[in-house]
Amino acid sequence: MWVARGRSAVLLMLAGLLVACGTGGGGGQQTSGGTKHGDTLRVAIGIDPDTLDPAAQTTTTSAQIVDMMAETLVRVDEKGVVQPLLATKWDPAPDGLSYTFTLRQGIKFQDGTPFNAQAVKFSLDRILDPKTFKAQPGILGGKTGIDHVDVVDDSHVKITLKSRLAPFVAAMTQTVTAILSPASVNVAPNKPEQVTQPVGTGPYKFQERVAGDHITMTANKDYWGTRANYDTQVYKVVPEAASREAQVTSGGVDVINLPPANDIPALQANSAVKVILGPSDRTIQIVINTQDQTQPLLQKPEVRQALNYAVDKDAIIKKVLFGAANPLDAPMAKTLFGYCSVGSSYAYDPAKARSLLQSAGASGMSVKLVSPTGRYVQDIQVANAVAGYLRDVGLKVDGPGTTDWPTYVPTYTLAPPSQAKTDLHLLGWAPAYLDAQQQFEQFYSVRTPPAGQESSYYKNPQVDALIEQGNTGTDQAQRQKTYCDAAKMVWKDAPWIFLYNQRYPLVTSSKVTGIAGLPNEKFVTTWASPA
Amino acid sequence: MLTYVVRRLLVAVPTLLGVATIVFSLLRLLPGDPAVIIAGPTATPETIEHIREQLGLKLPLWQQYAGFLGRLVRGDLGISTRTGSPVIQEIATRAPFTVELAITSLVIAIAIGVTAGVIAATRRNTGSDLGISGGAVFGVSMPTYWLGLMLVIVFAVHLRVLPAAGADQGVVSLVLPAVTLALFSMGLVARQTRSAMLEVLGQDFVRTARAKGASRSVVLIRHALRNALLPIVTTIGLQFGTLLGGAVLTESVFAWPGVGRLLVDSIGSRDYPVVQGVVLLLSVVFIVINLVTDLVYACVDPRIRYS
Repeated sequence: MWVARGRSAVLLMLAGLLVACGTGGGGGQQTSGGTKHGDTLRVAIGIDPDTLDPAAQTTTTSAQIVDMMAETLVRVDEKGVVQPLLATKWDPAPDGLSYTFTLRQGIKFQDGTPFNAQAVKFSLDRILDPKTFKAQPGILGGKTGIDHVDVVDDSHVKITLKSRLAPFVAAMTQTVTAILSPASVNVAPNKPEQVTQPVGTGPYKFQERVAGDHITMTANKDYWGTRANYDTQVYKVVPEAASREAQVTSGGVDVINLPPANDIPALQANSAVKVILGPSDRTIQIVINTQDQTQPLLQKPEVRQALNYAVDKDAIIKKVLFGAANPLDAPMAKTLFGYCSVGSSYAYDPAKARSLLQSAGASGMSVKLVSPTGRYVQDIQVANAVAGYLRDVGLKVDGPGTTDWPTYVPTYTLAPPSQAKTDLHLLGWAPAYLDAQQQFEQFYSVRTPPAGQESSYYKNPQVDALIEQGNTGTDQAQRQKTYCDAAKMVWKDAPWIFLYNQRYPLVTSSKVTGIAGLPNEKFVTTWASPA
Repeated sequence: MLTYVVRRLLVAVPTLLGVATIVFSLLRLLPGDPAVIIAGPTATPETIEHIREQLGLKLPLWQQYAGFLGRLVRGDLGISTRTGSPVIQEIATRAPFTVELAITSLVIAIAIGVTAGVIAATRRNTGSDLGISGGAVFGVSMPTYWLGLMLVIVFAVHLRVLPAAGADQGVVSLVLPAVTLALFSMGLVARQTRSAMLEVLGQDFVRTARAKGASRSVVLIRHALRNALLPIVTTIGLQFGTLLGGAVLTESVFAWPGVGRLLVDSIGSRDYPVVQGVVLLLSVVFIVINLVTDLVYACVDPRIRYS
C-alpha cells in the first residue's frame, strides 16, 4: 500500500516537472509571412543516420536531414518536377555533353564564407574523389558520369560529362550533390574525406548530434530565402514503429514517419493527430526469374501474365496495407519523368489466370517465393497474401521464405542467372531521382547481376534499344515517348507481378502544419509551423 | 588475494583471444556483403567495388584477421564501416547510457527483489508470499517488448506523466526503461532470496539467535540474510552482465541510445569492426563481473579465502 502511494507521489511529482519543463511543440506567434513561429519541432524517425556527409548519402530519411542544412543546385517539387534552388537556371550544350549552371548571387554559407562557383566545383569534385569516405556518386561517377567541372566565373559553373546522360539534371537533385563550404571541411571534427557536421547554405544549421539518440538543428537567421518557422528542429531516433506511434499520440514528438501500418485506421480516427499518406516513387513487386532453370515455365510470358492476373492487388492494398498504396498501371510510379499509363491492366481474374496457366502447360507448377521482413511496409504480410492467391489458382508455392535484409540482399543482388536461388522474390525499387532511366535499370539487360541489380534477368533487345535511346536523348518529348513504348513492352512481357506504388505514411500532431511529402519519399519538415 | 586476481586476469587473455577469433569467423560466415548494404539498393557496381576497397574487404581473410589482431594488441578496435568513426569512440558514446540503465535497473531489482524475497520467506504460505511469488513469476515471464509497450501506453500515452522514448529528458527518461529492464532481474532476485532465506531460517544458528533474545530485524538481517547472501550475490552478478548485454530489446522499445542498440544496428549493416568491438567489450565485462563476484564471496563469507 505504502509502495503504491509512494509511486503515485513520485509520478505526480514527475508530472509536475514535465508540465513545468514543457515537452516541445510550441505555441506559436504569427510571422509576417502568415505562418506561425514555433520554438521546437520534434520529429521521430526509424533509423539512426549512418552519416550526415552529403557525399555519402544513401537513405532518404538521412538525406532529408542533410537537405535542411546543405542545399543542392536544383531540387524536386511536390509534383516531382525539377526546380531551381542554388542555381537559377541551367543550359545544356547542343551536344548534350556539358551543362552550364547559373548560380544565385549574394548567398553566404553558414560559416560566413561566400557561395560561388569555386564552392560548387569543390563539392562536386569531392564526391568523385576516391578518398572521400563511402562517396556515392552513382550515375554521376564511373565511366559515364561527370568528367570534369570548370569554374566559368564566380556565378557560372560548367559540368562536362563523359558521355550523354539525359537525366543529368534530375540526378543533380540528389543530396549527394549538396554544396558545402570548402573551408568547413577542414574545421574539426570535419575532415576533407569525411564530414560529420555539414556547413551549407540551408535554412537550418547543425547544432548537436548524440549518436543513436538525436540530431538538433537551429534556424539559420541569415538564410537567403524564406526563414523557417521553428527555431529548432530535433530529429529523434526511435527504431520501433509502435514506440514512435506512442510518442506522437502522447505528445512527446510532433511528427513521426512509418507508424505501424495496421494502426493507420485508428490513427486516422484520432483527432489529436493527422495521418499523411505521402507520395513515393517506390514500386513493390514480385520479381520473376525470367531465365529460371529450376522452373523453366516462368520463362514463358503467358505464364508470368497469368501470375499477374492471379493476384488481387486492390484487396492487398485495402486489407494488408490499409490503403497506403496505389495499384500500378505501368512498371513505374506516376511521378517519374517518362511515366505513361500502359493502357491495359492486370485486373484480378483468377479464371483467366487458370486458363492461361493451363494453355501454357503450367497448371499446378511449383514455385519458390521469398521476401524480406521489415524492409518495406508490411512486406512479409504482402508476400503471404500473394502466396495465397497463387495457391488459389492451383500453384504449389514453397514459401514465402524470409530473412532480414542483409541476408536477403545476396539472394538476388549479386547472383548471375545460373546461380539464382529463387523463382519469385518480393522487392521494392525506389529510383534515386525521378526519371524513368532509374526505373529501367530494372529492365535493362546490361544490368543483369553481377553488373547491376536487374534481378528478373529480363532480356528484350527492343526494350534495351529503347532504354538506351531514352537514356541518351536530348529531346525530352521524344524521351517521354521512348520510355512509354518501352514500358508497354515490359508490361506485356511481365517480368514482375506488378503490385503497387507504395505511399509513405507520416503522422503529425494536429497542432502542426506545413509538413509535405515529396515523391522521392522525403518528408520535408523544414517549413512546418504551429497550426 | 593479489596473486589470485593477477592469475585470473592472465587466464582472461586466452579467453578474449578465443572470443575475438570466434566473433571474427562467425561474422564472415554470415550472409551479406557490407559494401552492398552500405552502398544501398540503387548503387552502381563501380560504387560498390570502390566501397569494398575502401573498407579493406578485398584483402584475403587471413590478412583481415592479422590486421584485426594486430590492431587489437595496440588497443585499436578499428573504424566503423557504417559511420567512419573509431569503434572505441562509437562504444564510448553509447556505453554511459547502457551503464546508467543497467546500474539503475540493478539497484531497483536488488532493493525491491531482496526485500520482497525476505518478506515472502518470513511469511511463508501466506497471502503476501503468494502475491510476491506470483509477482516474481510475472516479472520473469513477461516479454520485455510487450511489457515496455504496456508501460508506455499507460504512463506516456494515457497518464502522460513520463516520456514514451528517448534519453533527452534526464532522469525522467530513465524511469520506464529502467523499471522495464529491472522487472526480470527483480523476479529472479526475489525468488532466489526467498529460497535461500527459507533454507537459512530453518537452521540451528537462527533458532539460537532468537533464543538468546536478538530482535527480529537483527535475526533476519544480521544472521539469516547474511548467511543467505552467497547464492543471491551470484544471481546479482550474473544479472548485471545480463543487464549490460541483454538490454537490446529495452533499448529498442524506449529508443535508448545504448550499446545494445549499437550492436543491433551494426549487425544489421554488417559493421564488422563495431560488432567485434562490442562483443569483446561485453566479454571483458563478464570476465570482470565474474571476478568481482568471486571476490565479493570472500567479503560475505569470511571462510572463503583466495590464494
